[in-house]
Amino acid sequence: MIESILALAARLLSLFRRRGLDRDLDAELRSHLDMAVEHHLAQGMNSEQARRQALLDFGGVEQARQIYRERRGLPFFDTLFQDLRFAFRMLRKSPGFTAAAVLTLALGIGANTAIFSAINAVLLRPLPFANANRLVFVWATDRQRGVNEDVSSYPNFEDWKAQSNTLEALAAFTTRSATLSIGEQAELVPAVQCTPGIFELFGVLPQLGRTFRQEESKPGLSHVLILSDAFWKERFAGRPDVIGRTLRVNEDPYTVVGVMPPGFRISRERPEQVYAPLVRDPNRGHGFLMVLGRLRKGVSIKQAQTEMSAIAGRLEGAYPSQNRGVGVNIVPLVDAMAGDVKTGMLIFLGVVSLVLLIACTNVANLMLARGASRMKEIAVRAALGAERWRILRQLLTESTVLALAGGAAGLLISYWMSRALVASLKQFNVPRLADTHTDTWVLLFTLAISLFTGIFFGAVFAFSAGSPKLREALHQSSRQATEGARGSRLRSALVVAETAMALVLLASAGVLLKSVLVMRSTAPGFQTKNRLTVEFWLPPKKFPNDSRRIQFFKSALARAETVDGVHSAALVADLPLGGGFDSLSFHIVGKPDPAPGKPFQSLFNVASPGYFATMGIPLRAGHEFSDRDSTDTTQVIVINEAAARRFWPDEIPLGKQIRLDTNLLTVVGVVGDTRQLGLGTAPRPEIFLNYMQSSPDWSWLVMVARTEGDSTPVSAALKSAAQQVDPDVPVTRILPMDDVLALSLAQPELWTGLLAVFAILAVVLAAVGLYGVVSHLVAQRTHEMGIRMALGANRGDVFSLVVKQGLRLTFVGTLIGIPCALGAAQLLVHLVPSVRPGDPSTLTAVSTLLLSIAFAASYIPARRATRVDPIVALRYE
Amino acid sequence: MPPKSEVLQGTLDLLVLKTLDTLGPMHGFGIAQRIQQVSQDVLRLNQGTLYPALLRLEQRGWISSRWGVSENNRNAKFYSLTRRGRRQLRDEAEGWNQMAAVINRVLKATS
Repeated sequence: MIESILALAARLLSLFRRRGLDRDLDAELRSHLDMAVEHHLAQGMNSEQARRQALLDFGGVEQARQIYRERRGLPFFDTLFQDLRFAFRMLRKSPGFTAAAVLTLALGIGANTAIFSAINAVLLRPLPFANANRLVFVWATDRQRGVNEDVSSYPNFEDWKAQSNTLEALAAFTTRSATLSIGEQAELVPAVQCTPGIFELFGVLPQLGRTFRQEESKPGLSHVLILSDAFWKERFAGRPDVIGRTLRVNEDPYTVVGVMPPGFRISRERPEQVYAPLVRDPNRGHGFLMVLGRLRKGVSIKQAQTEMSAIAGRLEGAYPSQNRGVGVNIVPLVDAMAGDVKTGMLIFLGVVSLVLLIACTNVANLMLARGASRMKEIAVRAALGAERWRILRQLLTESTVLALAGGAAGLLISYWMSRALVASLKQFNVPRLADTHTDTWVLLFTLAISLFTGIFFGAVFAFSAGSPKLREALHQSSRQATEGARGSRLRSALVVAETAMALVLLASAGVLLKSVLVMRSTAPGFQTKNRLTVEFWLPPKKFPNDSRRIQFFKSALARAETVDGVHSAALVADLPLGGGFDSLSFHIVGKPDPAPGKPFQSLFNVASPGYFATMGIPLRAGHEFSDRDSTDTTQVIVINEAAARRFWPDEIPLGKQIRLDTNLLTVVGVVGDTRQLGLGTAPRPEIFLNYMQSSPDWSWLVMVARTEGDSTPVSAALKSAAQQVDPDVPVTRILPMDDVLALSLAQPELWTGLLAVFAILAVVLAAVGLYGVVSHLVAQRTHEMGIRMALGANRGDVFSLVVKQGLRLTFVGTLIGIPCALGAAQLLVHLVPSVRPGDPSTLTAVSTLLLSIAFAASYIPARRATRVDPIVALRYE
Repeated sequence: MPPKSEVLQGTLDLLVLKTLDTLGPMHGFGIAQRIQQVSQDVLRLNQGTLYPALLRLEQRGWISSRWGVSENNRNAKFYSLTRRGRRQLRDEAEGWNQMAAVINRVLKATS
């Protein structure tokens, strides 16, 4: 055993000092022969005989040397080194080809590495928790509404926890915004309310203090607070004496008991700043909890799903009124954390794989083009006795060297690309995306795809060039040695495939772009210019009834209108395109419900008098809310046109009444539709309640101010005025309406931009590939062109002959690409919901674009073909 | 004189080790001479094959080599047995003897 290891080590070492060892061996053999000659001379032979005899005794000197060498090194590596040296020599000999191939591969591999490193950070790297792979999200589902990831009620959570065997621990949380007052200043911070066991479920200890005790989920004991590391460092400069301090949260005193370690995060939307215990809510119909669980060791998600579905079924039977259609959906925590971005990232992994395939195809094509000129060399090598596999091996070594060089360059490119990617996705708060960096897995991934790439295009090349028909190749002069029909068919097929792939990407980018353009040109239904929005948060405790709320609304509006430059101001609960919306059910007086027990549904919003005028939303009938409306007058509502069409299709809605809970509300006005949910989403029926009357006790509130001229200079003054209304009501955001609109487009625009970048890359690569193939064809057919021209073909004929060839390939590629693009576009709905996959005008535009690019790529070689001098071309005969 | 026979596959190692054990440090030519002499020219050694064998033994750490000067004042590479090589020789010789004895017995039994 040890002998074999020693031997292997010796052989490996010898690889690095081959030359010295060769000299050594030569000296030794020479000395042997000299001694042998001497010996024979001493025995009386003449020098001629002595020499002959010595060589005879020795056997073949050259064979001995060969066996010795093989024995000394490792033949596999010897050959490899030989191939590598040869490969490097070949690549150095044609720097243009090498640079083009390496750059092409670097772009393809770099794009893949960049996307992979983001996926690695967000989805693959284990969460920083003990037993992270056993942590799951336990969503409720609602069959009736078709929702797969729904919140659950407290009693349901309790029953799940009590009855589940497959989940050894369950904890629940909900995300809230809380007003936190430290000293005078109130501030709205993202908060998590959670059941006491949640930190233990994650297996994370606080860096300071303690976690919640079981009894702290009881009312009266629950006024304890745990801080996030970021909040602690920012607000308390990381001072340890924060434990035991009292902070006011939503006006109630809370004692700080602990600080979580850096990076700990439960909420996937926004990193939470503080944690408070969740108090039991006995209403089984009130879903508001997200539930986390830890699988018992050895239990699969599927087993847990089966058991939990059974439990949910039992609960449905026991509480038919609140739990009708409620099931359970278990999702690994990693996937749940990544949320929507996961789909986007996987789509983009598909996109960059296409780019890489195109890059591979291109390089294979380049190699084939070169292969034609190398055919002769290969044929000579074969004639000299190189075995077929030996030649293949040589070619594969060459392509692998190329691919590894591309991979190394790609790694550099990916570093830059993934930084850009992380920066552009930053606004979406993707958990863990910021951790994107090049770790072992990323390196392995890059190595793997580089090797795959090298073997892929190397194999394509070797397949067509590796087994030349010896006799033919040697017969032909080097200029004429061609790859033959098989090679040229293969190259054409590669170009067709490349074109098809490029078309898929281009069409995808096209339909995304189209939908973004459509969204941009869509009128939102209100004015955005010179409008400022100020978001408030009303602590519910401070505003327990309508009169207190109305008092606040009035003073806020009065104060805003005193600010210089403010033309008018109004309030609204859910700003259109602002991201929030509320749906409620109601009854229409004098009309039956759509189905028994299922009342009408509509978006509901709350607005103050003057809101529609301030926003520039046109009034279609009746009038808007007036200052005279109060809690004592008739309860009034304003509806949008979509609501008028939906609920009173053939009637005049003015004066009609609806019942919301116990309130009777009368329609007094109809206003124009706005795009509430997004520019790509059709307006939905919406009913506005009046802030000056009885309104839902929602905490969110936006003030819209129409300014005289540009709103930017007014912003600061308005903010300070707003903060003075009530020091306990924090202003959470102040933003021009133009920016609100822009934000609503940010995500679709980002995806579109990203896809466009890759699509352009793909098209450029495909165009280069086509150019390469066509110019190669022209080079090969120079002779033929010469004959054609000698026989009377004019330049136009030759030109169109070449261009037609290029266009034909592209056309076939386009024909294949269109159905693929239609299929791929179905996935794009995940990126931009309003996308129209089969948009014929986009497909036409994209195909035309691709064909024009193909024309341009064939144009240059075609021009070259027309300049063929028949005399020169024929002279080569 | 009996016909010359080729050195059996695998026995060359043993012969070389034994030779070095007897002669002490020796160069390739000397080893070849010695094997032929001792076998009274029965064994025909293709001298060229000796060198890969020496390399193999050296790679396994059983012999070591260094350049030196021969009795005739010639530069030559001298091989000598290492401690591990001596142990290997003992083991191999033992194995050979056992095998030879077994083969002898078998031959006797059948004839």
